[in-house]
Amino acid sequence: MNSMNKLVEELKGRFTLLEVLLPDQQQLIVDIDQMHLHALLSHLKATGFRQLSLLTAVDWIEENTFQLVYIVFNWDTGIHVLVRTKLPRDKAVFRTITGIYPGAQYYERDVHEFFGVAFEGNVMSFKPLFLELWDELPPMRKDFDPEAYSREKFPERPYVPQFVPKVEVVE
Amino acid sequence: MTTNSKDMRKTWEKIADYFRAHSIWMKWYCTGCGAIEMPPTMTSRFDMEQLGMGPMATPRQADVLLITGYLSAKTLRRVIYSYEQMQDPKYVVGFGSCTLNGGIYFDSYATMTRLDHYLPVDLYIAGCMPRPEAIMNAFDTLIKMIEKGEAKGWRHYQENHDWYRKNQLHSLKEVYVKDEFHE
Ligand code: SF4
Repeated sequence: MNSMNKLVEELKGRFTLLEVLLPDQQQLIVDIDQMHLHALLSHLKATGFRQLSLLTAVDWIEENTFQLVYIVFNWDTGIHVLVRTKLPRDKAVFRTITGIYPGAQYYERDVHEFFGVAFEGNVMSFKPLFLELWDELPPMRKDFDPEAYSREKFPERPYVPQFVPKVEVVE
Repeated sequence: MTTNSKDMRKTWEKIADYFRAHSIWMKWYCTGCGAIEMPPTMTSRFDMEQLGMGPMATPRQADVLLITGYLSAKTLRRVIYSYEQMQDPKYVVGFGSCTLNGGIYFDSYATMTRLDHYLPVDLYIAGCMPRPEAIMNAFDTLIKMIEKGEAKGWRHYQENHDWYRKNQLHSLKEVYVKDEFHE
């Protein structure tokens, strides 16, 4: 807990954080605006958070924003930091962090493929990763309708109920 | 597959089918969760070798293609490749409700809802997931079907290749596998 307090103090002193949450003893969530995210991540990397555990996105369709979530981990203290930032949904472009964490390469491809967020500075991120020949909206966007897509693309087996007994309702 | 009640096989085919039925090499394509039921089926607990079946590592030497679970669009391309590499006669067994009607992934943008649209399925095993008893039962049925000449999916695939190809292309756009790691 001690190293956590120190970390929170330090981050608060150095950066303008929009929100700080402590969901768990070993977890810290910080919200930061887009401009300062790279500085914060480089600082974390330099102070022991060597591992980028995850980069993913959340589609807040009603707020019209995408939230990017970067999870970094410190192997010495066992602390996770979730760094979150918001992007406008209609202009979903951000800058790559592969300069800081080269492993973000594949996560950025993933987020681009499933949410349509473009990462400037990472040419590779525009290559499809999992889906082959995808031609629709990125499937993890909330305005994409998977069921309609499935109906159209993958015909269903017509269902003929043969074993359903007739039940008479007695009142 | 629809089965004709009349047996149209020649005598040598009957003999061949008798031998085929009792020496089956199976390739199982572990696409979904159901693959976890294969180890007990193959090893000492249920021991599928008592039916004269053995596992085979490559499609070219296998007789049975077992599809254990849901197929994503990406896997289906590979499965079609594997199936077309197999020598005739070949049999397909669909395993689990996902191959039957999509199972719990019926509304997924990534998975197929019915396998027999793309490959000729000789036998389905219902259940999510089927227990090894059900698998052994199905293999027993498959052996009987082969012996009686009822497992004719491979012929159906040859005769209705256009229909299968049309469905494959409708769902996949292209069957050709482009693999980043083999470019
Ligand atoms: S039928 Fe059930 S066990 Fe089998 S792949 Fe589908 S969800 Fe998994």
